[in-house]
Amino acid sequence: MNNFGVIEVASQKTKNAPGWAYVPDTGLTPAAAAALQPLNRKRAARDKANVGAPDLTARQDAKIRKDLEALDRDSHRDAQIPIPPKAGGSRAQNKHTPNVRKILQSQKTFSNHLDDYHAFLALAESNPQLAAQVNKPTPTTTARNSPAPSTITTASTNKRSSAASKRAAVTAAAEAAAKEEKAGSSKRSKTQPQPKPADDDDDDDVEMTDAPETTEEFTGSDSSEPLPPRPDTSTPLDSATETTEPPKPQSYPPDGTILPAYARPPPVPHPGDDDPLLVSRVPPFPTDEELRTLMTAPPLSYTEARAQWTEEEEGRYPVRRFCEVCGYWGRVKCIKCGARVCALECLEAHREECLVRYGL
Amino acid sequence: MAGGGGARKSRAVGPVPPTTTLVLDNGADTIKAGFVSDDGSDDKPRIIPNCLARDRHRKIYVGSELEKCKDFSEMAFRRPVEKGFIVNWEAQKEIWDREFFDDKASQKCNPSETRLILTEQPNSLPSLQTHCDQVVFEEYGFASYYRGVGPVFNAYRDIQSIFRTPQSTIDSPAEVILLIDTGYSHTTVTPILQGRPLHPAIRRLDVGGKLMTNYLTRLLSVRHFDMRNEPYIVNEMKEAVCYTSLDFKGDMEKTWKGTRGEKREDYLSGAGIAKDYVLPDSHTRFHGVVRDYEPGISARARKGNVSTEDVITLRNERFVVPELLFNPSDIGIRQPGIADLVKQSLLALPIGLWPGLLANIVVVGGNSLSEGFCQRLQTEILKRFPDECRVRVARPEDPITSTWLGAANFAKHEHASRLEVTKQEYEEHGAAWVARKFASGLGLDS
Repeated sequence: MNNFGVIEVASQKTKNAPGWAYVPDTGLTPAAAAALQPLNRKRAARDKANVGAPDLTARQDAKIRKDLEALDRDSHRDAQIPIPPKAGGSRAQNKHTPNVRKILQSQKTFSNHLDDYHAFLALAESNPQLAAQVNKPTPTTTARNSPAPSTITTASTNKRSSAASKRAAVTAAAEAAAKEEKAGSSKRSKTQPQPKPADDDDDDDVEMTDAPETTEEFTGSDSSEPLPPRPDTSTPLDSATETTEPPKPQSYPPDGTILPAYARPPPVPHPGDDDPLLVSRVPPFPTDEELRTLMTAPPLSYTEARAQWTEEEEGRYPVRRFCEVCGYWGRVKCIKCGARVCALECLEAHREECLVRYGL
Repeated sequence: MAGGGGARKSRAVGPVPPTTTLVLDNGADTIKAGFVSDDGSDDKPRIIPNCLARDRHRKIYVGSELEKCKDFSEMAFRRPVEKGFIVNWEAQKEIWDREFFDDKASQKCNPSETRLILTEQPNSLPSLQTHCDQVVFEEYGFASYYRGVGPVFNAYRDIQSIFRTPQSTIDSPAEVILLIDTGYSHTTVTPILQGRPLHPAIRRLDVGGKLMTNYLTRLLSVRHFDMRNEPYIVNEMKEAVCYTSLDFKGDMEKTWKGTRGEKREDYLSGAGIAKDYVLPDSHTRFHGVVRDYEPGISARARKGNVSTEDVITLRNERFVVPELLFNPSDIGIRQPGIADLVKQSLLALPIGLWPGLLANIVVVGGNSLSEGFCQRLQTEILKRFPDECRVRVARPEDPITSTWLGAANFAKHEHASRLEVTKQEYEEHGAAWVARKFASGLGLDS
């Protein structure tokens, strides 16, 4: 373009316009996003300091932990209540077997036993032979009839992941079994690549990462496509149990050996039954193979069964804070110690205590 | 007692095979115990406090002797069951001996002629299980024995009558139920299919009656009197006044005193939430009394005119405490609430099982007695699942003894004979074999 010899020189000065600016899109991990796009420049530095921990100081954390331990105790003071001597004393001189004597004399608490168990699991992982020698009821014995005994021995220190891996392994075993069964069937290939699209979805839609995947895994061994294509995928699977397709509307679940089909007469037909808007969707029923795996799976360990937040759910809702004095919403923070109170009246009550504890 | 009658009958019939069964639901707070004999004639379980208790005169009560105690102030407890599992056998044996095996025991039983069905909490530690088996066989010598996961026994009850579903046939065990057991030590969610627990989906929340009582103790100690040495009285208070709020925010507003200078109207009138609780004074009154809140009384008491009785006005303490089951994060416990617990449990199962489980949620355990619990649970669960899922939450009339009643039905079911282990088998195969047999459960019918 002819600009009549005028050369535009880019100015060295950039203006920080107060309005808006283009910033790099960094995906949806909140920590990274917060680091690159601070909502408020003033507070960016402060927020960065405690990215990992929500706004709790170490002191508050310790206080919460101590409080919870106190709540978990049976009594305020540890009561040492001896067993009262018996009047008759008829049973007193009974001989105990060595095992029983050992059990009766044991002063272990539950946490001692739990620690022992963890130590044993760790030993079993690092040194299986030695663990086998330890003359102790082995946790692995419970897994004797499980489909994948190897998974149990790996259950160890990291409870969450081991639980997940165990569950995954169990499903994997189920899947393998299902695969063997239907090795000849070429239709298997139809359902096999199914987990992949789910993974692709993850990239687009981050909200849905963890939870759906596990269910997909479980149902993955059978007709667990999304609902619409259900009729064609369920046929190859039911071939294992030899269901007949025509009476499908009546028989739910499809005739399996574990859960018998619904035997009673179906409900009275309604003119709106065929209306696509009113039709009810029924999720695919698990196959016998899956149910068998589930019903014969070995028990989880004590720590695995403890429910925990997943990382994704952990911060989904803000934790509710309450006034430490009266129990109403904690809307005001004490400057000195960070405790929450509801309003001025409670703040004053709190100050007295705060002064006693932390000084001026 | 009816149980004693059953035992005597069996002795007349003959030692082998055992015709009476001692069913023990050995909870952390109470033991539910009773006999089941083949000839029907059912009885109710006896509820025995599972503790050694010491009152302030240092007198010690063991188990059901606690009934004789009148003054519960400054009561201290020692419990053999910790976190739901029998840990201290020294104390447990003492209680069992006095209740079942001594000459003067009220439910006398001769172990060598009796079958024992004992409940345990899910996901126990193997070492504790072995201890239990060893004591049962080597110390007491029961003729045969089954130790099963407590919640599962509920499947042997008539579940559909709990839901009030009209039904012609009773299937026992129930085909599919989701059992929530909220007890003294913790709360568990157990999906059960035809009497078999689905182990990969059992989840536990470490909030139970004990923690809630302790929490109430703390709240009272901060706001009113120091109640830390009065676990019994606080527990009584909790059972009397606590309720599950259906509108937590609304109730919270109603119980707030308001800003300085202007008290809120709801606060002054009590808004139907505030209650007065008269503490026992150990002279004329040995149990607390709940009264409707009267604004005048507390004001007068504060002035010191009428101070013959100690009155605590309970406001948000009433619903904040059961709220812990739904929002454990309120006190910093990093665990999901009970409704999310159900969700996490179901996520470990195929979607095809969800409708059946959600439509058959049964709640047992003492905490479920708090008013509004089932309704709140139902609405919370509804929010977490697709609209098309029908959610039914039901509580049997007797949530505390429900597991025992189920276990009593189980004792008559053929499953019991499949699962039990005789003393002979124990001596032949050893403790490890027994543990394995119990852990593998029923297996499959086919």
